[in-house]
Amino acid sequence: MTTPPQSGREPDTHVPAEALMTRFEAPDPDSTETGPKNGRRKNGSTGQFKEIWRRYKRNKLAVVGLALVIFLMVLAILQPWITPFDPMEQNPINSRNPPSARHWFGTDILGRDMFSGIVYGTRLAMIVGWSVMILSLVVGLALGAIAGFRGKATDSIIMRITDIVLAFPALIGAILVVQIFGNGIPQVIIALVILSWPTAARLMRGSTLSLRESEYVEAARSIGASDTRIVTRHILPNAIGPTLIYSFSHIGVAIVAMASLAFLGIGVPADIPEWGTMIAKAVPSLNVEGEAHMWMFPSLAIVITTLAFAFVADGLRDSIDPKLR
Amino acid sequence: MAKFITRRLAHAVLVIIAATFLIYLGLFTLGDPFASSGEKTVPPEIQEALRAKFGMDQPFFMQYLTYLQNMFTFDFGIDFEQRRDVADMLATAVPATARLALFAIIIEVIIGLTAGIIAAVAPYTFRDVFITIITTLGIGIPVFVIGIGLRAWLSGEWIFPAVPRSFTVETPWWQEIILPALTLAILDAAFIARLMRGSMLEVLRADFIRTARAKGISERKVIGKHAFRNSIIPVVTYTGVSLGVLLGGALITERIFEYQGLGYLLVRAISQHNNPVIVPIVVFAVVVFVLLSTLVDILYAYLDPRIRLH
Repeated sequence: MTTPPQSGREPDTHVPAEALMTRFEAPDPDSTETGPKNGRRKNGSTGQFKEIWRRYKRNKLAVVGLALVIFLMVLAILQPWITPFDPMEQNPINSRNPPSARHWFGTDILGRDMFSGIVYGTRLAMIVGWSVMILSLVVGLALGAIAGFRGKATDSIIMRITDIVLAFPALIGAILVVQIFGNGIPQVIIALVILSWPTAARLMRGSTLSLRESEYVEAARSIGASDTRIVTRHILPNAIGPTLIYSFSHIGVAIVAMASLAFLGIGVPADIPEWGTMIAKAVPSLNVEGEAHMWMFPSLAIVITTLAFAFVADGLRDSIDPKLR
Repeated sequence: MAKFITRRLAHAVLVIIAATFLIYLGLFTLGDPFASSGEKTVPPEIQEALRAKFGMDQPFFMQYLTYLQNMFTFDFGIDFEQRRDVADMLATAVPATARLALFAIIIEVIIGLTAGIIAAVAPYTFRDVFITIITTLGIGIPVFVIGIGLRAWLSGEWIFPAVPRSFTVETPWWQEIILPALTLAILDAAFIARLMRGSMLEVLRADFIRTARAKGISERKVIGKHAFRNSIIPVVTYTGVSLGVLLGGALITERIFEYQGLGYLLVRAISQHNNPVIVPIVVFAVVVFVLLSTLVDILYAYLDPRIRLH
């Protein structure tokens, strides 16, 4: 299945670049002067990163997103010192309390402090989001590069595997994997990696295919460079862009996927304070006066997180590969 | 074209066969449905009897073949919990989900196309920026947050039935369907609006639009006929795939609004480890999804002949 309209479970990967534009300003004049592919300059990689950063910070929304992501990361790392209460500690006498000076975000149905729970949930979300991103990126890059570079049987086997994985609607696929491996955060991470590497692999394969026949690769081969060297030193740095952008935009998707599973009571143990389980626990109180804090705060946490990662991903897309816009 | 269609269909069939094999392998072999789990303890001799009763003492490939044969004859067996006929359960859930999916698609296409065209006709104006902000939010906010919000604010008010439903009050199906359909439609409507805006902006820059305007055709006709027809292809593709996902059951939305469709059934079956219910729903979801994606590919090739060359 190499035709452009790939059955799109990850719609954002094959949308016309125009449609993904969230920048509100007029198209910037600089995009035409960036020179060679991927904004590469002769003065090496430091110059390239500087160039990317220069383009990145022009997108105000992306800068806000980056600040939020850094904030969330700090929150996640410092969680044990930030939370005023033990996020697991139950206190049935104080259940469903509205926000107060003692409990900033109120307490949940089991009397646990919601603020501590949400900060703990941030830690979980960051762990799961980043692990899924890094693992699926590594697997996708490796298999995609092998498929694209080797071609022939290796290529078709790897691509047929991606076809089969992509035949499952995302949430249903994740549920199946969790059903097989059992409940737990590591299992959820495995499930999400299994479902997200195929898209990364396809993107990487596409870029590898287009670079394989390029003149500089031929030049490297002619001076006797080994296959491994050609792939890791010559193809990978130039082909990684689209895959990296996909993987980054997938962090938010992975966080939402975990919260969705947790909301349905699948995969994430119910006693762990996770945003999805917190919202699920608040469902009976949805129409009860004075208990809205139980679903509003975790919902807000998810929305802020997904928007922050989406803004950063958009900014990266614009700055890493201006041609994609 | 015929060759392209045959190739895509053959591919779809192979993918479906491989996927059903994996589903069977995963659910019936790796996870033993009769093993003791949690509070439920099953004595070994009863486990044996159950395995014999459900034919699971047979060799793996025999089991798999029986399962395939039963799928084709719509014989899904009986569920593990209440011993009901699974085919009967599906017979009420499939139409409910299909109704919900169609409703959601209609809403999202109408809203998405309108918003996309409005934004594309006057790019970088206030209207465009406003629509871009709304679509960013629509795509960024997860479905279950939207669903929970709608349920908290609207259910029980005006024409929207209260959730959980009271069994003494009869609600017409169209009242029951509005909130879940709206929940499902919001994300896709935002996406369609973006797609439409992007592809229309591109088409509006094309030479034939300039020619049409130069000929003196009214702006209404230029947008509504020339530009619209040429920019709709990505939306058709996206809508087809999205329909394929929705028909497989909207797990979260149906759960939130306690809408008795495939997704609701599936989530409940999973919490009960009720494999005879899980398997046909997942197989159905995969088959519908693959077939619709294939159909979309074929349609795309028909609308844009350049694709067939690849």
